[in-house]
Amino acid sequence: MTDELKTSGASSSGEEWEASDVPLEQVTELFVVLGKAFRAYQLYEENNPVRHRFVESLRQALQGLWKEVDKLVLQVEEDRILLSGSEIYASPNRAESLAFLFFKDGVRQMIFLPGLEDEELDKFLGVLQRARKLLPEGDDLLTVLWEADLHFFQYQYVDFLAEGVALPEAGPGNDQSDFQNVLDGEAAEEEDDDATEAEAGEAGEANEDAPKTASKDDFNPTLYSLDPKEKKTLREELEKELKRDLRGDVLAALFDRLEEPENPARQSEIIGVLGTLLPNFLSRGALVGATQILEELRRMESMPGVFGETQLAESGALLDEVSAAEAVHELIQALYDGSIRASPAQLGGFLRFLRSGALAPLLRSSETVDHKELQAVLREAVKGIAERNRSAVVRLLDEEDAVIASGAARLAGEMQIAEAGPSLAGLLAHPAAEVRLAAVEAAITLKASTAAGALQHTLEDPEREVRIAAARAMGVLKYRPAAARFAQIVGGKDIRTADISEKVAFFEAYGLLAEDEAVETLDKLLNGKGFLGKREPSEIRAAAALALGKVPGAGARAALQKGVQAEDPIVRSAVNRALREED
Amino acid sequence: MAELNYQEEGRKVLTAFYSTLNALKLYPVENDTVQQAIDELHGLVTHVIEVDGGAELRVVGDFFFLNETRLRLDLSNFATFGSFARALQDHGIGSVEIFPGIVRSEWAPFVSILLLKPLGDEPFSGFMDRVGATPVEHIDFRPEKEVSEPERDEEALTAAKRTYSKSVSVAKDALGDVRIGKAVNVRKVKRAVQGIVDQVLSNESSMVTMTTLRDFDDYTFTHCVNVCIFSVIIGQRLGFDKLQLYELGLGALFHDVGKQRVDYDIINKPGGLTSEEWTVLKEHTTEGLLCLFTMHGFADVPYRQMLMAYEHHMKTDLTGYPVNKRTREPTLFSRIVSTADSFDAGTSVRSYQFNPWPPDQVLREMRDNPKRGCDPLLVKALITATGVYPVGTLCILDTHELAVVAKVNPDSELAHRPVVKVISDPMGVPLGDPLTLDLSRDDPSTGRPVRTIIKTTEPQKYGIRVSDYLI
Repeated sequence: MTDELKTSGASSSGEEWEASDVPLEQVTELFVVLGKAFRAYQLYEENNPVRHRFVESLRQALQGLWKEVDKLVLQVEEDRILLSGSEIYASPNRAESLAFLFFKDGVRQMIFLPGLEDEELDKFLGVLQRARKLLPEGDDLLTVLWEADLHFFQYQYVDFLAEGVALPEAGPGNDQSDFQNVLDGEAAEEEDDDATEAEAGEAGEANEDAPKTASKDDFNPTLYSLDPKEKKTLREELEKELKRDLRGDVLAALFDRLEEPENPARQSEIIGVLGTLLPNFLSRGALVGATQILEELRRMESMPGVFGETQLAESGALLDEVSAAEAVHELIQALYDGSIRASPAQLGGFLRFLRSGALAPLLRSSETVDHKELQAVLREAVKGIAERNRSAVVRLLDEEDAVIASGAARLAGEMQIAEAGPSLAGLLAHPAAEVRLAAVEAAITLKASTAAGALQHTLEDPEREVRIAAARAMGVLKYRPAAARFAQIVGGKDIRTADISEKVAFFEAYGLLAEDEAVETLDKLLNGKGFLGKREPSEIRAAAALALGKVPGAGARAALQKGVQAEDPIVRSAVNRALREED
Repeated sequence: MAELNYQEEGRKVLTAFYSTLNALKLYPVENDTVQQAIDELHGLVTHVIEVDGGAELRVVGDFFFLNETRLRLDLSNFATFGSFARALQDHGIGSVEIFPGIVRSEWAPFVSILLLKPLGDEPFSGFMDRVGATPVEHIDFRPEKEVSEPERDEEALTAAKRTYSKSVSVAKDALGDVRIGKAVNVRKVKRAVQGIVDQVLSNESSMVTMTTLRDFDDYTFTHCVNVCIFSVIIGQRLGFDKLQLYELGLGALFHDVGKQRVDYDIINKPGGLTSEEWTVLKEHTTEGLLCLFTMHGFADVPYRQMLMAYEHHMKTDLTGYPVNKRTREPTLFSRIVSTADSFDAGTSVRSYQFNPWPPDQVLREMRDNPKRGCDPLLVKALITATGVYPVGTLCILDTHELAVVAKVNPDSELAHRPVVKVISDPMGVPLGDPLTLDLSRDDPSTGRPVRTIIKTTEPQKYGIRVSDYLI
């Protein structure tokens, strides 16, 4: 109960009891039970039966105590608690000690009263729990107790505020022998005022502004007391106010003043404040506020004359800091674990202000996150940053991290970053298959002729996916110098052990690159018979048919027509598909 | 012996009264709902009587007291409090005292009479006549005009002095630390504000009295404490709960913290300031906002307090300062601090204000001059707390005696008739022992007020400090 706050330098003893009446054992036991209940309170959720059991035991212990005494007055020392000078609780471990919990914030006496067990036991344990978690720079136990406003638990504390403070005393009143002269003068003024008021009244105008004279308004309660409607208005305002997010108001104040170039030192201070607010907002999921900070900083950076060089550098550093890999990792983590809940639009709104530093971590996340909606937003953000920082994308191709390098490769392709060609060619020899694959795909998208030469080596890549992609890439890129190599491959033995997809990729690429020169070989593979009249395997024939479909001209068509009646349904189907493609 | 949680019990008792009133309004007395409500009421009141030996409910102005403890009004109970208070006040009842021995059957007649239309010009007499005809024996009533706040003035004043002095000392330390760039002990400030809130909640008038201690040398610090006190008082009138009052008080105490970043010579310059100096001085609101960012010791970023520091010189039309470029709606908390600040600043002697206006004139100006830009409802709320003639106002009575307003009349209808201390006779001769007079009382022989204030004046003219007569 806060009304009981008292100054207490020296604590009194539990004076109420004779030594023989002191229920030492019972109180000692009570503190054992209290300790257990407190631990249970900390460990278990509200509905947990274990917690209920311990709290109930404490309730019963208190009920039992009130049969012996009508209040419990205890002295608090650093590591122990005393009842009438006798120790009833001690704990050398300060982190666990109830005594130290109270002592460190100045509490020196505690009084437990009957009723605590019925009315305030949960609240009391809640106070202890909150006190245990207090941060050194935040509230202390006394504030927590004050806020809890417990009635059945009272306390006295060392009042440091009272030290050396003298109480004001009444003075002599006046040092004049009398007030007569002044009073006479004022009374005369008063008579004049009366006359003036009377005259004004006769003229139909009340002189309500007469200085210092009691006014008619003073007797009109409607002018000075709140009517029920006005009270209601104010209460509604309070309710509205309590729901209001004040961060926006504080931000608006900071931005208003940040725009003032006449006070550069203050601008720097405000940028520093914004720098402390950003992580604070983000840690609470206030993405909109955080976005506002970035947006305003960027806006002011672009406004001529608002920021000096120093402020531009500070603002830039802040934007770089929030775009740094660690910060972006934190953000993604928060999005992933739900501590930041933002709509795609809000998230996108925030991400669009990030700088090139954010590209790598965002790219990585956009490649790995398994939340589709989030992935789409991240990809969009990555594109946005990449658009503004094309050279950063090229730099990312050299990243050791395979996920980032492969993502960057795809991005370079999508964005048609021609300067990426040489780097992409380098990536074809990357140890990670996913990177080589991405580089091949990017080469296709980019139509990077610089990469095409390097692609030839990739046709023998250990990874099937890469080989297939490379074959397709060379076909798409029409890299004719590779035709001879393809001729070797389709005529070789290795392709025969490959799966149908790889066969098709290689055969089609061959058709695309060699064109008419390929017809004879392909015709032979599709329609020819070997020694003893045996035909090629179905998959080879089908692949040859599809390759012929890629070759324009009558020769290829004629070869395909010959296969129309093939008995093998796989071959027949491939031929028909190829013919349709030719059409 | 068990102790009562007066706030809790008081709320329950008032709610039970309210339920019984409503039940009897709708149903006959035999109805189960009525009987249950009476059971509840009887049980609760009997419990209070068992513990305290009696139960007295007193309604004074906007407040209820249960056995001398003022019950806190908040958003969860204001309607209940208000309805029951009106039911009593309609019959001119100021207090209801219930004695041991009360029996259950006494409640229904009492509450039923409350529901009847009050009789004539003297509703209390009519009520008593009606009660006299019923078996109500263990409930006594006193008329509204005879009831005042429980008298614990001396004790309360001593506690208020202690709270006030500690708070000024804390403000001095905290603001001094800001000026020299030292870390502020925010815990101490919190403790001081908690003390002010406690004191206002338990005995508001004693705290108001302390605001008359306007020490010119300590103006910066006493002003912060006074603004804190007046803000908490206004918040209390608006139904703020204890924690909201604390938030408000904390911001109010720090509202001028930014001045500690302004050149000391400008803050204390006697006479007027140049326009350049004014420009610098006006920066204190923004500096206050920034200063609070540097303070550690708040559980959270003190956004509300920052806004109080930043917005307290903005007028209702958003003129004033600082100038807004973006949309702004000053918070209710900021407007309360602004109101408290205007009043205290207007009534204080400062380096550039040697002859401040009398408090009633300041209130009138705040209320009537739209150019001041004060929130009219909040000014009204302040006046309901300070009265038309605030404590410390020096006035001349119709007898030409000089008097200092000592206490506000809690009845807002009588806010212009405070309790005064008469300090001189009609000839201007100082009284050795000032005479306390309640101006709301009528002289029985004439039926007219014992005295009336005809004029207010400045203590400086008489060379007196009003606080000498009050503390």
